[in-house]
Amino acid sequence: MGEHKYTGPIAGLFQKMADMIGKDVYYVNFLILMFFTLFEVAAVFFEVIPGTDIEITRGAVWGVLIVVGIIKGYGIAAFFMHLKGDPFIYTRTALFPILFAALMLWGIGLSNPDGIDNLPAWCTPNWDYSYVTE
Amino acid sequence: MSGSLHPEVKNEIWMKTVLISVVLLVVGIIGYAVLAGGIGTMKHHAWEDAHDDLDQAEADWNTANETGTLEDKEAASDAWDTAHHADIDAHLSFLTWDTAGKTILVMFIIYAAFYGIAGFFNSIQPEDDDDHHYGDDHEEHHGSASPILMAGGIMLFMMGFPGFVTTCKALLGLDYDADMGGFVLSTIGSAILIIGIGNWWNEDLKGHYEQIATSHPFAGQDIRKAGMWIFLISETMVFASFFSSYLRMRTGWCTEWAYNAGKCDVVDTTTASDLLRHDVMTLLPGAINTFALIISSYTIVLALKAAKDINWEPSSNPLLAKLFPTRKKAVRNYLIVTLSLGSLFIILKLVEWSHLIAEGFTIDTQAGSIFYVATGAHGLHVFIGLLVMLFMIFKADALEEGYNEENGQGIEYFGLYWHFVDLAWVAIFPAFYLY
Repeated sequence: MGEHKYTGPIAGLFQKMADMIGKDVYYVNFLILMFFTLFEVAAVFFEVIPGTDIEITRGAVWGVLIVVGIIKGYGIAAFFMHLKGDPFIYTRTALFPILFAALMLWGIGLSNPDGIDNLPAWCTPNWDYSYVTE
Repeated sequence: MSGSLHPEVKNEIWMKTVLISVVLLVVGIIGYAVLAGGIGTMKHHAWEDAHDDLDQAEADWNTANETGTLEDKEAASDAWDTAHHADIDAHLSFLTWDTAGKTILVMFIIYAAFYGIAGFFNSIQPEDDDDHHYGDDHEEHHGSASPILMAGGIMLFMMGFPGFVTTCKALLGLDYDADMGGFVLSTIGSAILIIGIGNWWNEDLKGHYEQIATSHPFAGQDIRKAGMWIFLISETMVFASFFSSYLRMRTGWCTEWAYNAGKCDVVDTTTASDLLRHDVMTLLPGAINTFALIISSYTIVLALKAAKDINWEPSSNPLLAKLFPTRKKAVRNYLIVTLSLGSLFIILKLVEWSHLIAEGFTIDTQAGSIFYVATGAHGLHVFIGLLVMLFMIFKADALEEGYNEENGQGIEYFGLYWHFVDLAWVAIFPAFYLY
């Protein structure tokens, strides 16, 4: 615990930050999680970037929520849940449900009212709707 | 092989939990008396006054509409508006204190029931023979009776649950007929469930060797850890089904968000996030809960770190050195901090729900049902984690050395569950509160 030195492009960055401030990776991860939570709440709460007239669009908020979610998810899973230091079988186990989550998302595409004409072809089965009458 | 045995642990030690349960009960009653009985009652009076003011403003407005000038009408309308907002604020303020007090009371009664019933049951058990060791031969099956006891308890609890709910509503003075049969059945089921869990706690307290998996793909790994990860997969699927339901429904609704993005013409659905995200005060409970879970994730990591660190030393900071003076107390106190943060999460969650319900966002709408089911399932996971943490705090205190490098895996495996709960919140918070 705490003695393990993390390597790799992202985990190595966490390790470098930890070394810089003389703390362990868990502490750095904790600070990053706190910061990004604040950032995500602020992104939703403010309509313009504070101190400027630049509007925070819906698309930008979406982007922030997804990116921050991925960063926070990585921080918790990799360091707090030790997936980064544990044997790879645990990471494979953790990633296994993604297959089902992807199927569920595809199901949303199939059953969505927009699926007929508004969603991209790759997530709809290209059914023939010519029989549909008013 | 890891893990450790503690044959020196006697059953009398469980009497301590019976005493703690009395303390918890007293704390719960005091919490309720101060928050709901004291501050809540004052807030209720303030709400009644605000409501009277609103009635008066409404009467003035009616009079102005009938006989007043245009200026009188505008002034009366403004006064009604102000009184209306004051009435809503006073109502929500009352709900905050009242719900917090009631939640603390119920939560501490459950904590006390777990400590009291499980502790008493374990304290009157005959001592094991000294030559008996759980899993001494690691091919021998542990053979615990606890799961079957727990399953039986859950079955009886669920059988009587509808009657339990209606009886509770009748006891609260609502217009329901009490179903004492169901109430008694459910209560007996709860007691059996708690005894089953208590028996499991006792087995864990006495210690066992860690069993190692021998087959692919987990060969060489601790079986409990592999089992925990498999369990977390199933939990991921539970939450994935909530999310897919929510996203599917959400894509069919014309929400404020979709309307502002130009996706539809008439708003037909109000989501919880529409009511929560625009104001600091409404977003605050959810935001505090997010920080509470993150901090609690960190404190449980600190507990594990302290347990595994054979060279552990107190902090050079005097305050931290006083709070965490020895390794044993550091582990226990980090777990207590985690329990407190988890309890805060539950209190704020129910306060927030009470506000949403008061604003008309109930479970009988599509948006309401998915919100309450998803966030409620998450809250239930948090609460189950808190019940497990009760035992871990006791274990950290009861064993002579507490948690250490030999038995610290218990914290690690529970930590996986707790971090998962945090991870689920990382997805739930933006999806249900911010989007």
